[in-house]
Amino acid sequence: MRALTDKILLIVLLFAFMTSIFLIFNWVPPIKASNLSEQVAQKIFYFHVPSAWLGFLAFFIVFVASVAYLWKRKRQYELIAVASAEIGVLFISLVLITGPIWAKPVWGIWWTWDARLTSSLILWLIYIAYLMLRRYLPDGSKRANLSAVVGIIGFIDVPIVYYSIRWWETQHPKAVMASGDGSLAGPMFFTFMFSLATFTLLYVYFLRKRYQLLVLEDTVNKQFKEMEIL
Amino acid sequence: MLLPALELTKVSKDFGRIIALRNIDLTIQSGEFVSILGRNGAGKTTLLNIISGVSKPSSGLVELYGGDPADTENKSKLAVISHEVFLYNNLTATENLEYYASIYGVKDAEQRIKDVLQSVELMHRRFDLVGTFSRGMTQRLTIARALLHEPSLLLLDEPFTGLDQLAIGILISLLRKQKELGRTILLTTHDLHTAKELSQRYLILEKHRILHDGLMADTNPDEIRQKYFSSDRSGE
Amino acid sequence: MRAALSILKKDLRMEFRSKDSILSMWIFSLLIFVIFNFTFEVSRLVMLEIAPGLLWVAFIFSGMFGLNHAFAVEKENGNLRSMALMPVDGGQVYLGKFMSVTLIMLLFESLIFPIFIIFYDLQLSFQMFLLIPVILAGTIGFTSLGTILSAVAVHTRDQQILLSLLLWPLVSPIIIWSVNLTGMVIGGDITQGFYPLLTRVIAFDVIFFAVSFMLFEFILED
Repeated sequence: MRALTDKILLIVLLFAFMTSIFLIFNWVPPIKASNLSEQVAQKIFYFHVPSAWLGFLAFFIVFVASVAYLWKRKRQYELIAVASAEIGVLFISLVLITGPIWAKPVWGIWWTWDARLTSSLILWLIYIAYLMLRRYLPDGSKRANLSAVVGIIGFIDVPIVYYSIRWWETQHPKAVMASGDGSLAGPMFFTFMFSLATFTLLYVYFLRKRYQLLVLEDTVNKQFKEMEIL
Repeated sequence: MLLPALELTKVSKDFGRIIALRNIDLTIQSGEFVSILGRNGAGKTTLLNIISGVSKPSSGLVELYGGDPADTENKSKLAVISHEVFLYNNLTATENLEYYASIYGVKDAEQRIKDVLQSVELMHRRFDLVGTFSRGMTQRLTIARALLHEPSLLLLDEPFTGLDQLAIGILISLLRKQKELGRTILLTTHDLHTAKELSQRYLILEKHRILHDGLMADTNPDEIRQKYFSSDRSGE
Repeated sequence: MRAALSILKKDLRMEFRSKDSILSMWIFSLLIFVIFNFTFEVSRLVMLEIAPGLLWVAFIFSGMFGLNHAFAVEKENGNLRSMALMPVDGGQVYLGKFMSVTLIMLLFESLIFPIFIIFYDLQLSFQMFLLIPVILAGTIGFTSLGTILSAVAVHTRDQQILLSLLLWPLVSPIIIWSVNLTGMVIGGDITQGFYPLLTRVIAFDVIFFAVSFMLFEFILED
């Protein structure tokens, strides 16, 4: 049953990604920009922003799973938290990679210590530290407790980090979903939402797979232990 | 009917790939002296951790004096002696004991500290830093530390490991006295002869389960040694 | 509260027993000013602009020193486990450690600050007193998170590196704000947003403290 769900999910994902690539590169009209490179660079927006959203979602799941773990002390919650943290770091890494690729042609520089950029980097560092901590500790309930505590504090810190840097003058494009001048036109909005949905599906798929793998590792290790015992 | 000091019902501790205890059922009455025997890694330390409330079981029920071991009231009835001495090297013997006396709310602390220091023959070094103590002296001080708040349940995790003759002698005579006072004592050890000398009851922990629960009087230590410790003597 | 005070008393006793480390920490923060002066050869005007940041760099280093120490002494003879065995709430242990770490950091800061005044030739005015709440608020934010994360990091081999790794990103908002507030006071410009920002730092101090206070129990547990 689980395998079937995964297969269906994978097939849907394949089609969704092909469709979004078509939408992004062939269907949605290019933006009005002074030069071609800027027009092309803008396409990265459909990957960049969904990745950022997914990063936040992933870290929110780390938080929820960590609270659940401290409450119920069930291994499964610990594993969900780790899996989600790993995927979150992956998505924020994508944000930090796609950002400069866009910035170079548009701003003329790869990186600037701008509010949005700095806070994304700090966010990335917080969860890298979370994963590093886990690498340092031996498996066991102690590690689960400690990482759950860091998972909770880390997420509480996220809005504070964003808040603290917000008053800096930002060059970063404004949050586009807000209505008003900056809001997305019809085809762009549709393409963006489609891409966001596709990325969310990818997150769900990754989370399932990573979680299953972690459970499998546990099962195998436990079976080795049983063999030693008997 | 008197409440047992300690009652474990179907207690297991396993976490992910780690299995530490499986299905432990155990009742210990107040005033019993029980030895827990077993190879290294059989789960002895985990068992003591669960009893002391430091570690939570993954399933099953632990009751200390009818309540949760993690309750403050229960924690103040308990003392642990292990190879970790729980002392600060940068404090003197008296300062260490003062610290513990205030944490445990010991009444008439000054007199009590003198008493326990005397009982472990450390009065002459009471103003010296623990960092300057020999291993044996530190161990004696940790015995004093454990008995300071007059615990009704004593958990001893391999207490004889690394002790010199003097400290062993002091510990054994103090344990006898605690026994007479009606304190409940749990002892994990490799030293079967001492175990036989002190305790009435013994458990054998093997492969994370209780394999045997019997009376010391019915056993021959050498037989047990042959059966359970022949391949492993590293803990001694 | 009694237990927290016992822990505080014990910690202060131990810290002041090793006066050498306090002295060397003080010299170390002196060195920070000297080295920054060498590495950034800038005009006095620019120097004044980066001075608030420099001050907080020195503060952070002195704070790290205390934090690294705070739980290293608890680890040496298994005292962390002893703390778990105590008939005391985890929050009380946290409170005791928090107080000792904070007091020691404040002590360092009060040693560093006069040097800072002299090196950067700052005018002592009445307004300078506003630095007291700023430094207090920033320090408490730093130590409230630092205390719990130090207790986390002490379980690993590379305690010191891991503590920096965990703490610095998380505490960056507090530090950024503290630097800004310090800059406002030194620059004599406290009209614009000084008090709202200070209030915000204090609010987040409270959040960090409360969360750590509640979660500390889980760190002691095995």
